[in-house]
Order: sequence, then structure tokens, then C-alpha cells
Amino acid sequence: MTGERQSLSQRIANWARVKSPWVTVFNSGACNACDIEIIACLMPRFDVERFGILAKGSPRHADILIVTGAVTRKQASRLRRIWEQMPEPKYVIACGACGAGGGVFQGLYHVVGDVGTVIPVDMYVAGCPPRPDEIINAVVACLNLMKEDLARGGKEWRKKAEDTGRKETAPGTGAEVNV
Amino acid sequence: MTALLTMEQVSGALREYGPAEQVRKNRIRVNTDPQKILSAIKAAQQFLDCDHLILISCTDDTGSFGLTYHLTGPHRTVISLAVSVPRESPQVFSVSDILPPAAIYERQIHDLFGIVFSGHPGLTRLMLNEDWPDGEYPLRKDWKPNKANSYGGAAPEGA
Repeated sequence: MTGERQSLSQRIANWARVKSPWVTVFNSGACNACDIEIIACLMPRFDVERFGILAKGSPRHADILIVTGAVTRKQASRLRRIWEQMPEPKYVIACGACGAGGGVFQGLYHVVGDVGTVIPVDMYVAGCPPRPDEIINAVVACLNLMKEDLARGGKEWRKKAEDTGRKETAPGTGAEVNV
Repeated sequence: MTALLTMEQVSGALREYGPAEQVRKNRIRVNTDPQKILSAIKAAQQFLDCDHLILISCTDDTGSFGLTYHLTGPHRTVISLAVSVPRESPQVFSVSDILPPAAIYERQIHDLFGIVFSGHPGLTRLMLNEDWPDGEYPLRKDWKPNKANSYGGAAPEGA
């Protein structure tokens, strides 16, 4: 661990955050397919609650925001406001092809663009819609990112990697971050 | 369950509003005038027991707008009251005072087609973003997004 040693309460909070992330789902203009797959994650077949991943109704209680769909003009300011209400450290997963690049809704008169144009996104999930196991994988990869951020004292190290164009591999996931 | 309305019952009750035609077994269409729509709906409520509004649909056939009020009741027959609204002055009386659920359909049609429903208590935006420019109606056939125009909903500051 780099940086100064954290207080006991801070370490307990960090441990709890990684052990049981609370997620909230926001539909910014999706066709509902991604939402159905996310709900399938929460249902008994995939049952992410056994891993401690809990769906919360309020963004103020959540660590991870899962955004589904391209962002419509009406939802852009609302998505921003919801993201601003989340406590730090907050993570954003853009779900599906629309969240990553607008998908089939790209360029329509009522669409602003992908999720990344409105809020910073930490993880993209491919698929139209992504399968529930892919969504679970994204949340787990996001947790590894969270661990790495805690060890490096924040999200700045990823920004540096982005600026220098250098790719770093987050340990434990094999996933390249900020490519 | 009561029996379906017959063509004779409907054309008898709504004779003065326009010709009726049976488009399907359980659907009878009456073409009427925009000026007569309020009294036609009142007559359908009074004589045909139509206590339920399914929806108001709007079509753009490039020459005029077609508004269709779909009403039904315990007889499960759909009475479609169709009016044609001229494109130059798209104005029609609001029916939200006799059919309160019509208010939200009228707001939607006003938002997307630009038809003005006179007498509506709150004809504000329903679907489009709040900063959408006035006078742009995206579901009109001749509407094209203007690249020079700002349609609002931009990514907020700091994004």
C-alpha cells in the first residue's frame, strides 16, 4: 500500500465497501433490455446478493451506478444530478452497446450521446443486452478497480495512465483500464 | 358482459356527427368535424355508454393532421371518432374537461405535433426536454433536425 497509513475506521469502511458494494440502476433512455438483464442478476437464478452486491433504491446509498442506455436530452441533466448525489468514492458502469457509444440510438434528435459525455465512466460492458454473468463480471472487475484505487490512494493514477497513453493492467482482473 | 354495439346503434346515436363505418367486428369509426368533437364525445358517453378513453392518436398525412379519439365502455366496442385538423391552423377544442384522462394525451400531441388544444388547463411539455426550442415538432413528417439549431439537453457543466 502506498501513501500514508489510513485510520482504522477508514480501513473498515474500505473493507466493507469492497466486500459488499451497493449498486443502483439508472435508465437514461434504454430500451429496457439491459434493465431486464440487471433484474435477472438480482433474481434467484444469478442472485448477486449472495456475493454481497445489493441493489439500492437511492443513489445516495450506492457505491456503483449502473447506467443503461444512451442518454436522452431529457435525462442528461437528471443523470448528472443523480451522479452528483452519490457519495465518494463512486463508480459508474455503462451497460450495453448504447451506454458505450449510443448504439442504435446514436444521432437521433432526442439523444445527447453515450454515458461518457455526461459523467465519467469507469467500466463499459459490451453486449446488446449484456448477459447477466457479464454484468456480474463487470461489477467484480469494478471491485478490483476499487481495490486498486484504494491501494493507490485515489483515481488519479488512472488519469495519468490515460494522459501518457500507457496501458496498465489492473491486478487480479487481467482487464486493461482506461485504454 | 353486455353484447357488442351494432352498427345501427352507433350510426343512430351519432348520425348528426358524420358517417359511421364498421372497420372491424368490435371497432366502429365515425368521421366527424373538429368543431363537433366535444358534442360527439358527449353523445357517445350519453347514448352509447362510452365511459372510457383508450387513447387519442395523431397522424400526419402531410396535408392535415388526423386525430382519432378511441372510446370504449362495458360493451367492449371501440368507437373511433376521427377528425381532420388543418395543417395551417392546427387548433382543436380540448376534451379534457369531459374526459380528464385526455389531458395527458393532448399534452403529448401538442409536444410532438404542435396541435393546440384550446381550453386545456396546462398545455406544457410532456416528453421533450424543457429547453427544446419552440416551434420544432419532431413527429411532423416535414420536420428535419437543423444542424445549426441547439436542441438543448446538452451535457451539463463540468462533464
